[in-house]
Amino acid sequence: MFALNPRVVGAIAGKELRSFLGNPTGYVFLTLFIATSAAAAFLDDGFFSRNLADLATLNRMMPALLVFFVPAITMNTWSEERRSGTDELLLTLPVHDGEVVLGKYLGALIVYTVGLLFSLTHIGVLAYLGEPDPGLMFSTYLGYWLLGALFVAVGMAGSMFASNATVAFILGALGCSGLVFSGAAPWSSGLVGVLLIAGVIALLFYVFTGLAQGAGLSALVGAAGALVLWFAMPEQFPGVFAGLSAPEHFASFGEGMVRLGDVVYFLGGAWATLVLCGLLLGRRHW
Amino acid sequence: MAKASTSSAAASIQAKEVSKIYGHFAAIQNVSFTVRPNTVAAFLGPNGAGKSTTMKILTGYLAPTTGSVSLIGLDPSDPAQRIVLARRLGYLPENGPLYQDMTPRELLDFLGKVRGVSNLSAAIDRVASQCAIKSVFEKPIYKLSKGFRQRVGMAQALLHDPEVLILDEPTSGLDPLQIREVRALIRELGKTKTILLSTHILQEVEAVAQQVILINEGQLAYTGSLADLKKDSTIEQRFYDLCEGKKEVA
Repeated sequence: MFALNPRVVGAIAGKELRSFLGNPTGYVFLTLFIATSAAAAFLDDGFFSRNLADLATLNRMMPALLVFFVPAITMNTWSEERRSGTDELLLTLPVHDGEVVLGKYLGALIVYTVGLLFSLTHIGVLAYLGEPDPGLMFSTYLGYWLLGALFVAVGMAGSMFASNATVAFILGALGCSGLVFSGAAPWSSGLVGVLLIAGVIALLFYVFTGLAQGAGLSALVGAAGALVLWFAMPEQFPGVFAGLSAPEHFASFGEGMVRLGDVVYFLGGAWATLVLCGLLLGRRHW
Repeated sequence: MAKASTSSAAASIQAKEVSKIYGHFAAIQNVSFTVRPNTVAAFLGPNGAGKSTTMKILTGYLAPTTGSVSLIGLDPSDPAQRIVLARRLGYLPENGPLYQDMTPRELLDFLGKVRGVSNLSAAIDRVASQCAIKSVFEKPIYKLSKGFRQRVGMAQALLHDPEVLILDEPTSGLDPLQIREVRALIRELGKTKTILLSTHILQEVEAVAQQVILINEGQLAYTGSLADLKKDSTIEQRFYDLCEGKKEVA
């Protein structure tokens, strides 16, 4: 183990932040995020018919919104370094891989947090229309932040597999949508399980052999094995993966509750994904 | 036969039987050489010979499949030693990759902070003068000419005043005047630092190097002094002979 150097982590996070906010795309993202989240919160008919000063309508849509917005933040974190060759410059500095991963993660998470802070205007609208409960607003925004913290890690992992920003965006969005749809219905939980098992087997094959060509075949073998398991245990198999559902773990925050298990789910998931990023980054040394 | 350049004890850079294998493809195979302290060594070879792969292994960016390397007594494949080594090593990667949206000042400031360079503003001023980039200090790097970008790359490699410099094609893309300036800078730096520079330009080798390491198709073809290499022939002829398969390694 090594001690993380806050100076190094801070410098890398600052570079990421500067790179995102120094680009017009960053501001387009922030504007779109606020506009679409406002539309989801207040343009739904249900908002006025319920006659409650809360963000329940946005809560239903937030996981799906983040499937698109978070990968837009993270798509360049690794793909751009790889495309331009600056990863070689960065990874030959006196820094540990863990410091680079954490620095990049914090940079992207700060961007997301800035977006979320701007969206606090929604509470202003609620305060104008009624009397929102401060506790409920706190837990709701904590939930949004934790959801984003997990999705940022997943989006970053997607960016590690590509040197093209569009591909990185698609991979990040696929990873996040897996977490969103895993609990939607038994068939979607099962499908996420099959894809997850196939992905893990392909990843393990790639990490331990370094052969990208064989990874596709090993993914097919993994998917076939998972399908056999699904048909053998039609109820238990989807049930295992339904527990991965991000909206399910987020729901309690929207109801004003902060459950330790849900916090652990989001932070633990983000931590595990960052560890995976560290392993993938260290792959070049093997 | 050319003599080995130095004993391992006195070596600043040492590679022992280094190979890097990707699947069934060997990028380099059993490459061994040493470079003495305060020497400019030219790493010579045709395109695709394995120069950049070897340099990536020396900097710790890649690990060798087999064999070992050591720079100033530190093993870059050991994570803890790589960190110590990186503080004493300057590296200019191939094509000088830089963060294009930054200005040279911002880039040097960022890298200096990550490296923990003491008295950073003085260090930035020093390398800006050394590499003649003050005139473009506030311009975004993407707006700079190839020559200036290469000089910014040199400046970042020199920022922390390293003992060892690894430069992958440092004059690539420069005009004749800039090439002359960079070569003079390398000669000057070579008085106090160990420099390994890769090139496939033979005039460059003659202009700056005391030692030559030549690899061809991933294998060492020659290691020894420049004087020995061109003793009985021209450097062009020896390069051609050695790349045609007449291996000469001490």
